[in-house]
Amino acid sequence: MNPIIAAASVIAAALAVGLGAIGPGIGQGNAAGQAVEGIARQPEAEGKIRATLLISLAFMEALTIYGLVVALVLLFANPFS
Amino acid sequence: MMINRFLLAAVGAYINMPVLADSGGLFDIDATLPLMAIQFLLLAVILNAIYYKPLGDAIDERASYVQGQLKQAKEQKEKAIALAQQYEQELRAVRKQSQEIIAKAEAEAQKLVAEKVQQAQQEVIAQRMKAAEEIAKEKEEALSALNQQVEALSSKILEKILSV
Amino acid sequence: MVNTWSYLARLAEIEVGEHFYWEIGKYKVHGQVFLVSWFVMAVLIVASLLATRNIKRVPEGMQNFMEFVLEFLRGLARDQIGEKEYRPWVPFIGTLFLFIFVSNWSGALIPWKLIQLPEGELAAPTVDINTTAAFALLTSLAYFYAGISKKGLGYFADYAQPSPIMVPFRVIEDFTRPLSLSFRLFGNILADELAVAVLVLLVPLLIPLPLMVLGLFLSGIQALIFATLAGSYIGEALETHGHGEGEEEHH
Repeated sequence: MNPIIAAASVIAAALAVGLGAIGPGIGQGNAAGQAVEGIARQPEAEGKIRATLLISLAFMEALTIYGLVVALVLLFANPFS
Repeated sequence: MMINRFLLAAVGAYINMPVLADSGGLFDIDATLPLMAIQFLLLAVILNAIYYKPLGDAIDERASYVQGQLKQAKEQKEKAIALAQQYEQELRAVRKQSQEIIAKAEAEAQKLVAEKVQQAQQEVIAQRMKAAEEIAKEKEEALSALNQQVEALSSKILEKILSV
Repeated sequence: MVNTWSYLARLAEIEVGEHFYWEIGKYKVHGQVFLVSWFVMAVLIVASLLATRNIKRVPEGMQNFMEFVLEFLRGLARDQIGEKEYRPWVPFIGTLFLFIFVSNWSGALIPWKLIQLPEGELAAPTVDINTTAAFALLTSLAYFYAGISKKGLGYFADYAQPSPIMVPFRVIEDFTRPLSLSFRLFGNILADELAVAVLVLLVPLLIPLPLMVLGLFLSGIQALIFATLAGSYIGEALETHGHGEGEEEHH
């Protein structure tokens, strides 16, 4: 592999995961905060809120995972090598 | 030291291995995909035959059984409630009847007592009247006897006076 | 000491993108995926057979457990598709959930690395993009089938339901759905296995345990999400009216 391509791929992979984690991180924080508020206001709805929260968290998590997949492509299945 | 060496070796293995893999890679789509899909559909069919259908039928059958039992129990409960109501009504009727009987007996007894009292009063009054009559008669007799004596005495007095 | 370390190092090796190829005719398939998927299928079939061997009105043991699972799957399908039409889809959605769930957990719980393959390694079938893509494409086919079998070609007329502007978005959605389904599952499970593997590589004992437990939890949720999304796509395709009218009722 061309060392420049290798270096660029590694940097790109790091950026893909790192930047990709920012948005979902904020989103997950928001969602969890709202869920806690909801539970505090209405403790009897805790089960429902928790189930919904987990599923929404997993959806947000998936966004980071997409970044990770791109990173993995660059590292392990680099189309430019 | 040892851990360092191990880490180096391991990280080295980590970096070398996949990148140097000649064929395939992470996104190696080949005949596995359609075969997997067929296999999955096969599994769905098999599980439908040996799992979803028999157990689902069992669950549905149980649900209908439970519902039937519930319905039956409800009916029985209703019947029991109706029976209890009937008994209660009968009980009430009987109680009413007995009260009526008691009232009637009481009324009769009162009537009897009243009659007896009246009779006794009448008897008393009659006796009193009789006694009063007797007294009056005796008084009259006594008076008339007295009158006669008075007359006799007065005539005697008159005679004596006149004869004197 | 050195021997122990090297043994552990061999256990902790990370292999990404290596496959144990079988050649069938001129086609290549990933043998390790099929081996583990057969194991998963065997587990499911044996569990079903054990549960239905002697069906009683008052369930016991395995029957009780599998009935609980079935009730859960039915609830999942019913929540997404609706009371009226969910029944024929229970086998599809249920098998999706069961297969993915058992695959994920078998990948996390069973020490497949103890079994050496000439190339590649045994792992959950869901860390192979072929498996997840197969499931995602089947889901796409399933919801197309659901929509077309119910409304005929009128299903595609629904694409322009609130307004014709929606048509390109709906068409794009048809492509992004299988893509996101397959990558979500694949990426999550692979990320989980990689995270555990990297941690095992650094600290072989005890420290990775919490992460493994978290991985079990997350892989269970991923199975739930895949099945839920498949159900909601099918349910949306079966909906009698366009999206807009349905939503207007909610306001």
